[in-house]
Amino acid sequence: MEALRTLFPASDFTLLAAILALPALGALVNGLFGKRLGKEGVRLMALAALGGSFLASVLTYLLLPAEGKLTWTAWRWISIQGRMGQSIPIDVAFSVDALSGTMMLVITGVGFLIHLYSSEYMKNDPGFHRFFAYLNLFCFAMLTLVMGDNLAMLFVGWEGVGLCSYLLIGFWYGEDKNAAAGKKAFIVNRIGDFGLLVAMALIVYYVGTLRFDGIQSGASSLLQNVKIWPIGNMSSGTLPGFLHFLLPEQPVTILAATAVGLMVFLGCAGKSAQIPLYIWLPDAMAGPTPVSALIHAATMVTAGVYLVARLSAVFVLSPAALAVVAVTGALTALLAATIGLFQNDLKKVLAYSTVSQLGYMFIGVGVGAFAAGFFHVFTHAFFKACLFLGAGSVIHAIHVRIHDTDRSQDMGNMGGLKAYMPITRWTYLIACFAIAGLPILGSGFWSKDEILWKAFTVDIMAVSAPGVSQWMWPSWLGRAIYWAGVTGAVFTSFYMFRSYFRTFHGEFRGWKIDPTWKDPGHGHGHDDHGHDDHHEEHGEITGPVPHESPLPMTIPLMVLAAFSIGAGFLVAEPIHVAPLAHKLEPVFALSSRAIRQREGTEGLLFPMMLPGIAAFLAGTVGAMVVYQNRRGEPERRFATMFPRLHRLIYDKWRIDELYDATVVGMVDALADIFTIADKWIVDGILAKFTAALVGFFGTVLRAFQTGRVQVYAAAMVLGLVGVGWFMVKPHADATVNDEALRRSGEVKLSAAPGLGYSYRWDTPGVSETTFAKTTEHTVKLDPGETKDVTLRVRNAWGSESSETFTLTRPAGGRRGATEPGALPAPQPPTLPTGTIPAERIPDLIQPKGLQ
Amino acid sequence: MSSVPIEYYLVVAAVLFITGAIGFLLRRNLLILLMSIELMLNAVNLTLVAYNRIHPLNHNGQIFTFFVIAVAAAEASVGLAIVLAFYRVRRTMRSDEADLLRS
Amino acid sequence: MKIFELAFFFLASLLVVLGGFFTVASRNPIRGAMGLLSAIVGIAGLYLMLAAEFLAAIQILVYAGAVVVLFLFVIMLLGPSATSGRDTRSALPRYLGAGVLLAASVGALVLVFSASAGPRALSAAPTGMGTVEGFGRELFTQAVVPFEIAGVLLLIAVVGAVAVARGKQVDPTLAPAPGDDDKQGSDAARAVLTTHTKDVHS
Repeated sequence: MEALRTLFPASDFTLLAAILALPALGALVNGLFGKRLGKEGVRLMALAALGGSFLASVLTYLLLPAEGKLTWTAWRWISIQGRMGQSIPIDVAFSVDALSGTMMLVITGVGFLIHLYSSEYMKNDPGFHRFFAYLNLFCFAMLTLVMGDNLAMLFVGWEGVGLCSYLLIGFWYGEDKNAAAGKKAFIVNRIGDFGLLVAMALIVYYVGTLRFDGIQSGASSLLQNVKIWPIGNMSSGTLPGFLHFLLPEQPVTILAATAVGLMVFLGCAGKSAQIPLYIWLPDAMAGPTPVSALIHAATMVTAGVYLVARLSAVFVLSPAALAVVAVTGALTALLAATIGLFQNDLKKVLAYSTVSQLGYMFIGVGVGAFAAGFFHVFTHAFFKACLFLGAGSVIHAIHVRIHDTDRSQDMGNMGGLKAYMPITRWTYLIACFAIAGLPILGSGFWSKDEILWKAFTVDIMAVSAPGVSQWMWPSWLGRAIYWAGVTGAVFTSFYMFRSYFRTFHGEFRGWKIDPTWKDPGHGHGHDDHGHDDHHEEHGEITGPVPHESPLPMTIPLMVLAAFSIGAGFLVAEPIHVAPLAHKLEPVFALSSRAIRQREGTEGLLFPMMLPGIAAFLAGTVGAMVVYQNRRGEPERRFATMFPRLHRLIYDKWRIDELYDATVVGMVDALADIFTIADKWIVDGILAKFTAALVGFFGTVLRAFQTGRVQVYAAAMVLGLVGVGWFMVKPHADATVNDEALRRSGEVKLSAAPGLGYSYRWDTPGVSETTFAKTTEHTVKLDPGETKDVTLRVRNAWGSESSETFTLTRPAGGRRGATEPGALPAPQPPTLPTGTIPAERIPDLIQPKGLQ
Repeated sequence: MSSVPIEYYLVVAAVLFITGAIGFLLRRNLLILLMSIELMLNAVNLTLVAYNRIHPLNHNGQIFTFFVIAVAAAEASVGLAIVLAFYRVRRTMRSDEADLLRS
Repeated sequence: MKIFELAFFFLASLLVVLGGFFTVASRNPIRGAMGLLSAIVGIAGLYLMLAAEFLAAIQILVYAGAVVVLFLFVIMLLGPSATSGRDTRSALPRYLGAGVLLAASVGALVLVFSASAGPRALSAAPTGMGTVEGFGRELFTQAVVPFEIAGVLLLIAVVGAVAVARGKQVDPTLAPAPGDDDKQGSDAARAVLTTHTKDVHS
């Protein structure tokens, strides 16, 4: 151990590079050479990459110091300038503390199990290598996200996991439905990413760093007011009169910490599927089931919780932002739980359950119990992965005979599977107990109970600063959240056991079991993508005995089931068995100072567990009665009694439809307007008119392109004649030499030469009559005198041209240089003949143009 | 050898050049076109030699003429080869049939 | 002497101008080639008068001996098809163009003569001007690099001319039977000639 500490010093912990590089390498190799490697090679590569990464993560976790963290800086990425003019370096740097170390273990550990599971589950898929390339890439991005030492690196990982999520949701892109689901996830996440980017900009502006250390220590600089309205230099002076109602009497301000918190939370709501951006996650179940388990249950969707926990120092400064987080979490937990009650698609139930559980996590971090919220991330990763993989195992079995995606996931086609799939059944049951919160044994009990307890007792102290006023939590808010959470817990245990009983108990409803049934040459389609070439009607077909999944699929199930129980004892604070909690304490030491326990709740720790246990019992027993004893009859009665309410819940409260009508509708309308503009302005005027113009000139010019050499030669000759004509046309011009002007009053004019030219100079009084070949002419001026000299040029054909020059000699004495024998005037710099320094221009000649 | 003024030679050269140029522009027979080019080159050569005669200190004009003759020989050989190749493709001598590049 | 000189000059000039005219005006390229020959010989004579004896010899050797003969070879290779038919298109624009060119040229001539101080008799040429010795000394001292480059140019021209004139040849190694290939090629050439002869006669 000591040797390792010397090998990897805490400030240059290069082992992190290996943790990151292995999945990246796996993605690269599988992505580029996967097809040539073959399935065995791809499986080996992917599993080895994740396994190696996992081992390195374990080692890292063991080497983790009690306080502080392990860091590794790869290189300086960029350096930007802060508001004080200081330089803000942004490094490609990674660090691990207890928080990110635990996440790292979950990502690589659960990731490895799911890789193992996938290698069997996806065995017959033609996109095998592509799948593992994406999966490895996802692990790389997720590790970047949690290990990034600054917000910029976290954002790189954040976008990376978003990309992988998109790629994997649309993995079977052949079907429009799946591609649309991927697109939806991507676009909804963009909205969240906008928030995160704004938050990053605000942090850079106010705190002056993106490093988490720096944000934690410099968070107090966020305790100042940000003017959010009116923006810019908008004032009564710059706005037209009828818009003055837009100007408030006092500028609207918001605490910087609140602004940052809300913007970060917008990002988290996108990534972690909270109201109002949760809508993408249920649709994301279009991806392969292991993807749902890894990305959309265990790891990626918890990134938002991780980020809030990571920025806990910012959030505790703003009780208002915390309240938004907690209330949103509570509402999401309730809403998603109600939707889960009536879903028939097994994966949809699990998806809404995930959304609901994410809501619990946000309740945790929202009430300032960052550690508790993170415990739930930790335990949820195990039992939800186990549930999804169990569902995958069931779908795998159903898919033998029912190839349609939707119908193979429909619980109406399952039932009674406990006899055929014992391992799947037991692991699923254990995970159900864990999520529903079986006291003591279920890990969900400990983490959820901790969250609800903290919500019940929360009392957030407002950190105040001069000039800012803080919004305070009303005392009922914590209790309201607590009871909402308990209600959600009833629903949770009810729908989880509903799915368990409908899947594993009762009669098998998928097909008529015929033990002698042989596959008619179709081969076992072990993947759950829907090529529905069999249009069998429900219940009319026969098929084989449903079979348990092979070992590579059941081993992960068993391991995860074991952790679903065991993980609880890492976080069981009420009974003081919580090693993880102790490990995390230093991380949240600073932020937990602002949170205290409400007075008068000291002795209520164990009594307040009772509503949670009651919720578990109510939900579980209720589900057992409804679906085990009475075969779902009460649900059908409910549906006939309140058909519209049932329909509404079944249609997920029609939130998607609401968004379609409002947000999507508005964007569509905007797009329609732009279509018109595009069609008429861009296409019509800019493109077509330009094209027509060019085409017109082309048509004209094409007439000259005869393809005959002689025509081209004739054009050349014509051009030459034109140039020749210009050359022999008379052009009267002369250069003026006035060097002797100040001394003797003489100006020498030299006419420009030309082929066949003869010249005539006319001065007032003296008029020559003949043209001569002389090009030089001298004019003598008295001081103050002005003379016009006209140059006439005649060429060989007798055509003429003329130009008049006005020559002026300045009045004497200006520079005292007119008298002979006087000192020579300071010589102007020597210039080429004909150029006149600017200062002397008024003294001289202005050509009067051609006459 | 000095009784004929230089301008006379230049006039002869100009007339020859114009004859060649008109021939090049008006005729359609590729062989005649090549011959017209030869005429124009010769006219230029004559001009060069004539001007060399009134600046007799060196042989620049004559040397230039020498190279023009060399280049003209090269041009004639390649040009005739092209004429033959063209004939093989289009079975004609008419220059306006050489329009394969015209769409 | 003077009258002989003038007579010689006018004789040579007549050869040049008439030869040029025949070159351009004759329909039969053979006659054109003969006109070219006449113009070239005339120019050689003018070179003699301009103290360029060596160039006169070169002119006869290269132009009359090589270029014109090359033309004749090609004309004979092509046979009757070397003669293009009468131009069927309207002659007016072409003669109009010729007239413009002629007028412009005459104008330019007038200009040139008006610009000069009038015809002056030439002074005697220095001894050795244009002789093989005088010319050669300068050629091989000052102009030796262009001379060598001209040699390279001629080599390239020869290779290029051969390559272009031979046309596309079937690689004998690719052909099924090398003997057949030659035969086919010559057959094709013969076929071309016969069809063409037929065209002309019909």
